[in-house]
Amino acid sequence: MKVRERISEASFNREYSHTVGEITSPNSRIVCRNVNVYYGEKHAIQDVGLDIGRNEVIALIGPSGCGKSTFIRCLNRMNDTIPGCRVTGQIVLDGQDIYDGSLDVVPLRAQVGMVFQKPNPFPKSIFENVAYGPRIHGLVSSKAELEEVVETSLRRAGLWDEVKDYLHQPGTSLSGGQQQRLCIARAIAVNPEVILMDEPCSALDPIATAKIEQLIDELRSHYTIAIVTHSMQQAARVSQRTAYFHLGRLIEVGETAQIFTNPRHQLTEDYITGRFG
Amino acid sequence: MQKSTLLFLLVLLSAAAYHIGRRRSLQVAGGTVRSLHSLPSYYGYYAALWCGIPALLVLFLWTAFENSIVIQLVVSALPEELSSAPPDRIGLLVNDIRNVASGAVAGEIEPAVEAAANHYLRLKDTSNRLLSVLATFVAITGAAYARQRISKEHRARNHVEKSITVFLIVCSTLAVFTTIGIVLSVLFESIRFFKEVPITEFLFGLDWSPQMAIREDQVGSSGAFGAVPLFVGTLLISLIAMLVAVPIGLLSAIYLSEYASSRFRATAKPLLEILAGIPTVVYGFFAALVVAPFVRDLGARIGLDVSSESALAAGLVMGIMIIPFVSSLSDDFINAVPQSLRDGAYALGATQSETIRQVIIPAALPGIVGGVLLAVSRAIGETMIVVMAAGLTANLTANPLAAVTTVTTQIVTLLVGDQEFDSPKTLAAFALGLVLFLATLALNIIALHIVRKYREQYE
Amino acid sequence: MNEICEISGGSSSDRTIDVVHASLVKRRQAEKRFRLYGLLSIVAGLCFLVLLFGSIIARGYTAFQQTSIALDVYFDPQLIDPDGRRDPSALMEADYDRLLKNALSSMFLDVKERQAKRALYSLLSAGASYDLRDLVLANPELIGKTQKVWISADDDTDMLVKGQLGRTGAEGERRIKDNQIAWIDKLEADGRIKKSFNTAFFTSGDSREPELAGIWGAVMGSLFTLLVTLSLSLPIGMAAAIYLEEFAPRNRWTDLIEVNINNLAAVPSIVFGLLGLAVFINFFGLPRSSPLVGGLVLTLMTLPVIIIAGRSALKAVPPSVREAALGVGASPMQMVFHHVLPLAVPGMMTGAIIGMARALGESAPLLMIGMVAFIVDVPQSIMEPSTVLPVQIYLWADSPERAFVERTSAAIMVLLVFLIFMNGLAVYIRKRFERRW
Repeated sequence: MKVRERISEASFNREYSHTVGEITSPNSRIVCRNVNVYYGEKHAIQDVGLDIGRNEVIALIGPSGCGKSTFIRCLNRMNDTIPGCRVTGQIVLDGQDIYDGSLDVVPLRAQVGMVFQKPNPFPKSIFENVAYGPRIHGLVSSKAELEEVVETSLRRAGLWDEVKDYLHQPGTSLSGGQQQRLCIARAIAVNPEVILMDEPCSALDPIATAKIEQLIDELRSHYTIAIVTHSMQQAARVSQRTAYFHLGRLIEVGETAQIFTNPRHQLTEDYITGRFG
Repeated sequence: MQKSTLLFLLVLLSAAAYHIGRRRSLQVAGGTVRSLHSLPSYYGYYAALWCGIPALLVLFLWTAFENSIVIQLVVSALPEELSSAPPDRIGLLVNDIRNVASGAVAGEIEPAVEAAANHYLRLKDTSNRLLSVLATFVAITGAAYARQRISKEHRARNHVEKSITVFLIVCSTLAVFTTIGIVLSVLFESIRFFKEVPITEFLFGLDWSPQMAIREDQVGSSGAFGAVPLFVGTLLISLIAMLVAVPIGLLSAIYLSEYASSRFRATAKPLLEILAGIPTVVYGFFAALVVAPFVRDLGARIGLDVSSESALAAGLVMGIMIIPFVSSLSDDFINAVPQSLRDGAYALGATQSETIRQVIIPAALPGIVGGVLLAVSRAIGETMIVVMAAGLTANLTANPLAAVTTVTTQIVTLLVGDQEFDSPKTLAAFALGLVLFLATLALNIIALHIVRKYREQYE
Repeated sequence: MNEICEISGGSSSDRTIDVVHASLVKRRQAEKRFRLYGLLSIVAGLCFLVLLFGSIIARGYTAFQQTSIALDVYFDPQLIDPDGRRDPSALMEADYDRLLKNALSSMFLDVKERQAKRALYSLLSAGASYDLRDLVLANPELIGKTQKVWISADDDTDMLVKGQLGRTGAEGERRIKDNQIAWIDKLEADGRIKKSFNTAFFTSGDSREPELAGIWGAVMGSLFTLLVTLSLSLPIGMAAAIYLEEFAPRNRWTDLIEVNINNLAAVPSIVFGLLGLAVFINFFGLPRSSPLVGGLVLTLMTLPVIIIAGRSALKAVPPSVREAALGVGASPMQMVFHHVLPLAVPGMMTGAIIGMARALGESAPLLMIGMVAFIVDVPQSIMEPSTVLPVQIYLWADSPERAFVERTSAAIMVLLVFLIFMNGLAVYIRKRFERRW
């Protein structure tokens, strides 16, 4: 694979002494090796290696402050917007080291979309929210095409039927769950290849959460998804693989079923059995 | 006794009352402070308040009414042929008497005026003496009353705190009284003005030449008071100022808050804010001496006829003055846009400028509009720059290269210098003041409302 | 890019990433342009600042020097003290002008014509004879002697020596004529012209003659005015801030007060001048042009600034301090005055100093209450007519004499020094007492 050319063989195959389980994926899309993140003096992510596979949902779990959000923000370089944040190591997407100095973040982020913890629709209409991405990237050439993209995205996000008559209402007028699905629609309107979700349901009620989880499952066929979640049930419901982070280290990674039924690391077991978290 | 001496004496008496009150409370308590309702010092304050406040009130009221009563007495004692003169003549006479009394007049003095001045001085003297006796008496009585009230159960602290609260409330209502004062002072004179010049002519008239003719038969002997040219001139200069200040202020705020490194920001921001601290008279000087000749010469070089008091020069300098105002307000509003919106746009792959132009500015727009309205209100009310750099003749034109005059310039020209207070000319200044006040009031209220709504949105 | 396409496994041609890349160059250019606009606006703002300061300093620094001319003055006893009694009142009245004229004429013997003589005498300051008088009064033994005395020059001479008046151009349009230029050049060649520190500028009051005009009167006027403003606005402003922030119930009345305060902060200053004219002067009959009235008007103007700053200083004190004080049984009044206020004082002081700095630079409302009068004497109390520094600047800026331009600029420099000092003090206090909770 071309990916390997970007990372030395030794680095690709190295062992991570603090990580239990298979970090590689049979169908790798994103390869992370030796990733360290510092916020000023603070060492937030310590030496993480992890692969994320094609058409898979990987859940990142762990107690608050363990670095899981920081880690997925590395994958589309959202950490660039935080002053004093420094990332070392390699993160390779489709054979391109995304922390390479010559790489432009704009196409990267068009390729790797993101949904945030709190729904953050722009103070524009629902239509404009979804149309924003295709517009700035020049993905559509006509108004009709744009309308089509908006409709498809809203449909995929399961929001179309609820908002099709209110497309010109402000996005902020929707309920929390609808806003979050609007944000998902906004992200998929750009037709990304990877979607990162940072606790997308933490601000939502159970019904809205269920809708989003169902949506994630449907989206899996088109996209690679990494989701950070606080809820172990959610991780178990939506993901194929699960990675457990603890104090900035990746402790254990493996098939979701295995992690939840038969964790191999003491910390993972303590966490999923509810000793802390 | 001089009033300042009296004031000093009252302060001393209050200090003494404090000690008396405090001593008295200890005496009443019989040495056990705990048996008192309040701490001994509160009894001291209680006595001091009773000593000082009524006496100060007496002093204040006396001072407020002393002058007019004394003058009235002096006037009524004037010989018949003087006191029967028309009111404005008497006003001049009273001025003479005052000047003579203060020794400011040298040379020949009419005997009647001199007698009146002596009478005036005598009355003043008597009044001062009466006041001293009265105020001291009130102070001592107050202190004695307070001392007599002090007992173990007496709630001195509550009384003292109550008076402090009253003082605080009075201070905080001063803002309301200032507004009322402004409204009343401009309104009364304006009403007098509108009795002479119809309000419609003032608001819609196209001709402004307030110079009253010296001879009756001259053209326009009554003066013309159509303020439209002033309004247009004011708006023209404000518009030029906004055209300078809004883009520069907004763009620099954007650059400082979104692009600049923290070191650059730490130097550039205070430097820009220096512009806000420079007195307007300095800008006026700069406009008249540097910018206006520069604009005129530049115009001459490219074959344009530019007045040396062009609206362009005044507006340009006013714009420079307002830059930091626009920029610091915009900076506030841009920073108030939540980071999550920026994140949302960045995560879609928007570039920084796209994020700013298409997400941050629209989100901050209400605030920015409010800030710009406040800036407009400043530009309209700005005085020194236009007094020094804009023209005096009222031209009804929208040409930025011509000289125009503004509302504030006219207020200053009408009121500076020796005017009798009743001529339509001076009254017109108050009418212009009323228009100015109402216009800025409306702008401020709308702007403050928008800004407040905006702040609530993101809190 | 090829590589990326390869890896994607040759999927359909409309992969987002390719479309994105296609327009990327254009978008990056737009980004650069936008960034440049921002930078340019800041540069423009800073340029204005530099231009403003530069032009004022360039025009004003020369005013700190004054040209004087050395004359060999014969203190003629016949003219000064004919009776030889050294009577001070007689010395006061003597014709010192004659002495100066004699001294000048003796230097330029060829000047005979009346008009030329007048032109010659006009090289000296109109106030020169007073200087000479003071000199004689201080040293009566000079009478009967000849001594070299440095006499301050007229403003036109001064301007010519400083190179600010043109020597060329049609003579009729020049302030200073050819023969005067020749005399001055001769004096200069003889070493009889020098420039020295302009003390008069800092120690005298206003004057119609630029070389005699100084800022001391205006500085004292500003001082008295600010004194009145400070002693009224600080206690009232602090009290209002305390009430509104700590005690006021939230109701329509306090809402009204708040709206009023915010609005007053944005009312044009000239309107306050109208208020002062109508209320303080015409209604209460306070003396026109006095620092008292000026101070009252500026108090009303500064109050909103102090109140707003005071409230935010109080707001910055964390509620835990209040709870702690109330918890040990302090009354609300004691809580505020013993615990909250001391913590908020530095913030309030910062606001007060900034308010004072604004009051110091304010001129428009003072024009309305007559502080614009021409006042030669230095005021001694808050009741005497006086002017203030910014208004002095305004008056001088209006004067036609060339020499007032440099004096105006110099006065501006003095004003700016005061303002920079005050703002610096405010920044220092903020930095020194800043507390993070």
